[in-house]
Amino acid sequence: MEEIITAFDYPYAWRALAASVMVGLMCGALGCFIVLRNMSMVGDALSHAILPGVVVAFMVVGGYSALGFFLGSVAAGLVTAVLITWIQQKVATKNDAAIGIVFTTMFALGVMGISWLSKNEHAHIDLKDFLFGNVLGVSDSDLVLTGMICLYVLASLYVFYRPLFATTFQPVIAETMGVNTKLVHYFLMLLLSFAVVAALQTVGVILVVAMLITPAATGLLLSRRLPKVIMIASLVGVLAAVFGLAIAFAFKTTPGPAMAVMASFLYGLAVFFAPERGLVFRFYRKRTRERRIEIEDVIKQGARLEQNGAMTIDGLVEKTVLPKGVVTSRLKTLAKRGLVTLQPLAMTNLGKLEAFKLVRAHRLYETFLVDRLGLSEDQIHDEAERYEHLLTDELLDEIDQELGYPETDPHGSPIPKRG
Amino acid sequence: MDKSEPMANQDQYAIQVEALNVSYDRKRVLSAVYLNLKPGLVYGLLGPNGAGKSTLFKAILDLIDVDTGRVLINGGSVQDIRKEVVYVPQRDDVDLSFPATVYDVVRMGRFPHVSLMQRLGKADKLAINEALEKLGISHLRDRQIGQLSGGQQQRVFLARAMAQQADIWFLDEPFVGVDATTEARIMTLLHDLANQGRTVIVIHHDLSTVRNYFDQVILMNQRIVAYGKTSEIFTDEKVAETYGSQTSIQHRTNLLG
Repeated sequence: MEEIITAFDYPYAWRALAASVMVGLMCGALGCFIVLRNMSMVGDALSHAILPGVVVAFMVVGGYSALGFFLGSVAAGLVTAVLITWIQQKVATKNDAAIGIVFTTMFALGVMGISWLSKNEHAHIDLKDFLFGNVLGVSDSDLVLTGMICLYVLASLYVFYRPLFATTFQPVIAETMGVNTKLVHYFLMLLLSFAVVAALQTVGVILVVAMLITPAATGLLLSRRLPKVIMIASLVGVLAAVFGLAIAFAFKTTPGPAMAVMASFLYGLAVFFAPERGLVFRFYRKRTRERRIEIEDVIKQGARLEQNGAMTIDGLVEKTVLPKGVVTSRLKTLAKRGLVTLQPLAMTNLGKLEAFKLVRAHRLYETFLVDRLGLSEDQIHDEAERYEHLLTDELLDEIDQELGYPETDPHGSPIPKRG
Repeated sequence: MDKSEPMANQDQYAIQVEALNVSYDRKRVLSAVYLNLKPGLVYGLLGPNGAGKSTLFKAILDLIDVDTGRVLINGGSVQDIRKEVVYVPQRDDVDLSFPATVYDVVRMGRFPHVSLMQRLGKADKLAINEALEKLGISHLRDRQIGQLSGGQQQRVFLARAMAQQADIWFLDEPFVGVDATTEARIMTLLHDLANQGRTVIVIHHDLSTVRNYFDQVILMNQRIVAYGKTSEIFTDEKVAETYGSQTSIQHRTNLLG
């Protein structure tokens, strides 16, 4: 904690924070469109492929300049996007292979160029800064450039939201509405190049894609509406940047990777705890459903046992094939709902009614399977055992009517009447 | 089809297709297609699988490159009147996990009507709500599209088309995976549109409903076999000619009685 606070005595820490927040914000928002268009790997490719642009800019300017750096990278990004699209459309090479070929070539050229520059031209550039970022080395002019890029990207997403939405969701429809889908594609590639250049200093080329896709994937788990997805993704991007930087200060480690790890951590939280689509929620829902089925089995078997004598816990355990503990616990729930009494163990009238309903569902569905779907008698029991818990009253009434109110099921057992 | 009609009458046609040829990978898909379609009618576009029905739609909508031929919509190029033309593609092309609600999708119908810097106005919102109402999906407006049944999804895409208030409608198999209630509702809607003077063309598969559904039919199998009034064109003979001698089809045509 102390390391974090003392770090902020120095202006470089503030510049690092400002740059990271802006990158997190912009990459999070832009990443939503990249992910939804299945272009995550294109994002990765573009970030790797800007290296030769940097080298060329360095040679032309004869040293480092924020603007040269920016223009070189964007040019390289666009060349990559055009090349990838060209191969995908004109050459019989698979889409992801095309991406792989183009970006490894560009990246390799960039790495060769940079090592050549630093050895022969004695330039002060370090390959490691490009690969993993050097957010602590952000200068004032870098910060201004990042700020402008961030503003431009966010404003573009806002202004072009409708064409972006339409071309991402249904490109064909967008085209029939007069949207130039190709133009939108390349414009998005341009924005992506911008974002990659800005993110280069904070997280480096290898991890840029983490800032693009991880927050977006998190947003997509948490909301079903695009504007909200974008807001969540931007927030996750910002949080990842801030906490990543803090972790880097606290543990004296590299900020870029810390941000990527932080983004993945937030994604992990969403995977488990997202409402509706989170694993915890889904497990809970499954558990609730299983419990309901157990409860319904207990009451059905209980009614049957009582008809043939008396309902006992041992009898229930035998009939439902559930452990004794589960049976007693389900009985308690049933007692609370007034469907059984525990002392003595017996069905209430309400409980009997409930059991009738289940038997009706089971036998009606069996009849339906034989009569309408032509299944044989020995195929239907397990199926009906599952569906008796799922069929609603309305649906059962319709099945009953459809079948012409049958008296007995395929096994010859009577079907209870409604109510 | 009467090619000797005077030029002055061209304006009466909603859609004119002349000498259209389309191929994919040097394989001919459409050959010498000529069509003159009048407004105010519901057309059924019929033909076996691979007859080029969807391709014809795409060619008319200028979504694919054609070898030769010319398409006029309301006497002009489709590029100039995009918002007057609406396309409802087959439902299986849609990414149902996309983070969009029913309202978001129907709202798209207004996109051609507003420029980039404009917001959607009162008239747009009215059109959206009317479309939702007309298709009976107002109560679903906040549902994500993947949470709907097939019939409900199709209603959403039709509501979007409706919101666009287009003059000419292209529907590619709108009844696939759709419940009977929705199918009937869609048909009523399409005839309402035609009665308002709009043009509706539907790619259709179920030959048993053709007579009840369409004012006119277009029979095609890579070329146009025949088109015109359903009562005149939709005969056993012509249907057999269109579908060839596939036994399953003969069985189906026999059902027509």
